[in-house]
Amino acid sequence: MKKSGWQPLWFILPTLIFIAVFSLWPIIQSFTYTFFDYQLNNQQKSGLYLSDRYNYDLFNETQTYVKLFMTEDRSHITNPADQNRVDKVLSQVDKAQQEFKGKTKIQKISNSEKRDITKLYQNVSSVINQINAKYKTPNGKNLTQVIKGYKQSFIQSNFIGLKGYAQALTDARLGNALWKTTLFTVVSVFIEFVLGLFLAMIMNKAIRGQGIIRTTSLIPWAIPTAVAALMWSYLYDGSSGIIANFFHSIGLIGNPSDLLLSETGAMISTIIADVWKTTPYMAILLLAGLQNIPESIYEAADIDGASRVQRFFRVTLPMLKPAILVALLFRTLDAFRVFDLIYVLTNGGPGGATETLSLYSYKTMFGQTNFGYGSVIVMVMFVCVAVIATIFVKVLGTNLMDKN
Amino acid sequence: MTKSKHQWNILVGALILVFLFGMIFPFFWILITSFKPDGEVFGNGAFRIFAQHPTLHAYYEVLFNKDILVSVKNSFIVATTTTVYIIVIATLAAYAISRFHFWGKNLLLGLILAVSMFPQMIVVGPVYNMFLHLHLTNSYAVVLPYSTITLPIAVWILVTHFNEIPLALEESAKIDGATPIQILYKIVFPLAAPGVFTTAIIVFIAAWNEFLLTITLNSDADYHTVPVAISFLRTQFQILWSEVSAATIIVTIPTLIIVLLFQKKIVSGLTSGGVKE
Repeated sequence: MKKSGWQPLWFILPTLIFIAVFSLWPIIQSFTYTFFDYQLNNQQKSGLYLSDRYNYDLFNETQTYVKLFMTEDRSHITNPADQNRVDKVLSQVDKAQQEFKGKTKIQKISNSEKRDITKLYQNVSSVINQINAKYKTPNGKNLTQVIKGYKQSFIQSNFIGLKGYAQALTDARLGNALWKTTLFTVVSVFIEFVLGLFLAMIMNKAIRGQGIIRTTSLIPWAIPTAVAALMWSYLYDGSSGIIANFFHSIGLIGNPSDLLLSETGAMISTIIADVWKTTPYMAILLLAGLQNIPESIYEAADIDGASRVQRFFRVTLPMLKPAILVALLFRTLDAFRVFDLIYVLTNGGPGGATETLSLYSYKTMFGQTNFGYGSVIVMVMFVCVAVIATIFVKVLGTNLMDKN
Repeated sequence: MTKSKHQWNILVGALILVFLFGMIFPFFWILITSFKPDGEVFGNGAFRIFAQHPTLHAYYEVLFNKDILVSVKNSFIVATTTTVYIIVIATLAAYAISRFHFWGKNLLLGLILAVSMFPQMIVVGPVYNMFLHLHLTNSYAVVLPYSTITLPIAVWILVTHFNEIPLALEESAKIDGATPIQILYKIVFPLAAPGVFTTAIIVFIAAWNEFLLTITLNSDADYHTVPVAISFLRTQFQILWSEVSAATIIVTIPTLIIVLLFQKKIVSGLTSGGVKE
């Protein structure tokens, strides 16, 4: 190791930039979203507006039409007093045009500007009402519609502070998603761990066939989760699915379609598919740990007359603890943020029975384009993940920095 | 003793067979279904092992009428690009972490680890907005945010590998006047090549399998990668299971080849440092 001044910076700079732009900045951004009623498909809420703003594009459009229609209608007005009124209000419109000249898009607006625009709207509106009461001008009706643009251009601040979090506290759907995510994570990681450890011990013992077991184990790990999910959705299918049919014929389920269409059936189905996909991965991680246990310890245990069961609980498990904790930590975090498997297999159904936190946040953000509340759900997930990681590292003593 | 050992071996062998069957069966069943004509994927035909009238019709449909090859091409482009640039920048970072002593090193390692842990969903919204403003949606620019999944793993595995390379060679090169970049590319890189290659495979597979970013950023089917295109089959094909099966088989082939060729490297990559899925 050597102290090298600024040199390391150039080496880590590209990595730092990528992490900053595509990981850290988005996290901060997501956190900011949670304080706003931020909805992409709603014109009034499609940005983060801390202060009141005004839509000058809409304002300019309104001005143009008001001028156009009023000038046209003026020729249908006979009373000179009325003509005067129209002229006066038209000059006010021109004055406003001057005041806000060059402003486009959505910009901040001061209180005095707000007053000016409100006053202009009231003046224009009262003149139009008077004209409409007396005459039948060609654009009379249009004008009453057009001038609404002045008011619609006001965009109120959509800063809601902690209201998003308050909403989350009483959101039953979020509670359900949290529960389903936890259930899925705990059950599938537990089964994967037990099967994976079992498998790793067999692989450690097997002299012949290690190659083929390893290859076979890697296939489920390597294929895309979405592809695996689609495959399983066929096997689970109520009419053509072989697994659904098999479970039905041995009496596990009353009806082949129960597997994907009943609440417990759907949860069990996703867990089976997840176990199938990740048990081999767990086994490979644990196998590496097993192979690091020196044979001499087992020999010593044999000399002391330890039974197979004692060997497992007194030697294998304690020696394997670091590897087990690392494997469990990464698998738990992975299972907790499960998305593609469930998205393809059940899409959270039936009736939210398999809707996990990531699925709920995805639906909120991209289904309803509600980025504000979607981000609140993501933050709930973030906190859970942080808690899980802290428990593993601080309480259980998982050593992640071991090799580095 | 010998008898019980013999029984033990039989038991282990049987368990291995059960395991292998469990792992392979879904694939096997998909393979069978892909050769069945439409009429045989329903009713009793659905549970017959061999098709009565085997056909390649489903493959023909999927390849020529459903554009599955476009997604395979996209996946290759996206996964290769990601692998190349991630390996370059991760090698630099991992080398510095492994060889230099600098302020904030542990902070950096902790940060990299934390990034690999947090839910991916957290970056998707802001990245979507960023791409929308920069007009980068529906393009191969999706490889840039892929760094959030692949970069931490890559740095992590590479640091482990670099730490295993002895320092002596580099020190003698330094005495001979080589610059750090020269040392990295002329001495460390060749020595680390197996490790770098392993990392590249892991990154490639991670990028190949990525789902969430592509489905949100690239809604246009022309830019769908394999996992996303496959997920749309579920609704698009309704219940044409033979075509779904054929598509699954086709898109799985590249992954299978990689696994078969590089299984040892993959296993060593997975076990060097806790690596996420």
